[in-house]
Amino acid sequence: MSNTEIWIVIAELTLATLLTRATFWLVGHHITIPKRVNEALRYAPACALAAIIVPDLLITHDHIEVSLHNPQLVAGVIAGAFFLYRRSMLGTILLGMAVFTIVRIAS
Amino acid sequence: MQDPTPATQTRSADLSQVQINEAPGELQNRCFWDGVRAGSPSLIGIAAWGLVTGIAMIKSGFTLTQALGMTFFVFAGSAQLAALPLIILSTPIWVIFLTGLMINLRFVILSVIIAPHFTHLKIWQKTLWGYMTGDVSMIYFMSRFPTEQAEPGKYEYMKGLFIANWAAWQIGSVAGIFLGNLIPQSWGVGFAGTLAILCVLLPMVLKRAALAGVIATGAVALATYHWPFKLGMLAAVIVGMLCSMAWEEWDDRHDPQSDAGSSNTFEGKS
Repeated sequence: MSNTEIWIVIAELTLATLLTRATFWLVGHHITIPKRVNEALRYAPACALAAIIVPDLLITHDHIEVSLHNPQLVAGVIAGAFFLYRRSMLGTILLGMAVFTIVRIAS
Repeated sequence: MQDPTPATQTRSADLSQVQINEAPGELQNRCFWDGVRAGSPSLIGIAAWGLVTGIAMIKSGFTLTQALGMTFFVFAGSAQLAALPLIILSTPIWVIFLTGLMINLRFVILSVIIAPHFTHLKIWQKTLWGYMTGDVSMIYFMSRFPTEQAEPGKYEYMKGLFIANWAAWQIGSVAGIFLGNLIPQSWGVGFAGTLAILCVLLPMVLKRAALAGVIATGAVALATYHWPFKLGMLAAVIVGMLCSMAWEEWDDRHDPQSDAGSSNTFEGKS
């Protein structure tokens, strides 16, 4: 792509960010959300995060891999258990990255 | 706003410590820093994610100016990462635009929750703070302010969360852009971002209805992994929300006490 085309892409992706994130802030109060939809939305943040990380943890080399050879999964399980026990995010990230690196090199 | 009634003070644990003679400016300042502190555990993960995105842009052949332009204007990690291979392949520009929209669709759902808190702001403020919304800062905001009721310091708390999140992301991205060719892709630095999200998600799933939704979301996300434009992610979120709702309804009907019980467990463990 030429320099101009890349800047056009940057402009349109900026527009995509604005449209999806800011539209409801600007027009939301004109729209009435049904009560049940509003209740369901309380679960949206947890589901949005799960939709990001479940494939991150389970898919490696483009397929689902549930075994000790999947570094993300092994590191995720150990780090998750550590987090539930100690509640330290920094410790969890450091431990998780260490396990991830060891399994990645070993397998 | 500036003059909190006693009722709002007792309702909120944090703001119950508002001194009657505390000047509005001091309250706002304190709430801003409360927001920064609340988000701070996640900042390392966010910066690591930015780092990976920065590296990816440079490795895709972007010049320094283009990469800096993309990170400071677009400010959307997953959309940027998805667009890069399409740019390399010279995909039509409208396809890249649609991809960016689809990947960001989850923010439409998140903004439906957060926007009603800030209907009183000016148009430019709504545009700016809407633009600044991130997945993780959004969740910290929700857990601090579950209801839409006006509370003093809410706007400043949101600013603290969002600005810290933005700064961590940009510091990581800029570092990645300049270090791009020194850090090998195989180190998998981006996995730190996944771990950070795991830490944010785990306390939320101690409530059974949320756990049911998260399991359903995960299953659908895996099954639809190869769908174009990451549309499977959106399907997964919607199915997950419906499962949580169904679980909650079923629970309420069969055991009206269970909801209170499970939320107590949640408080007790955190």
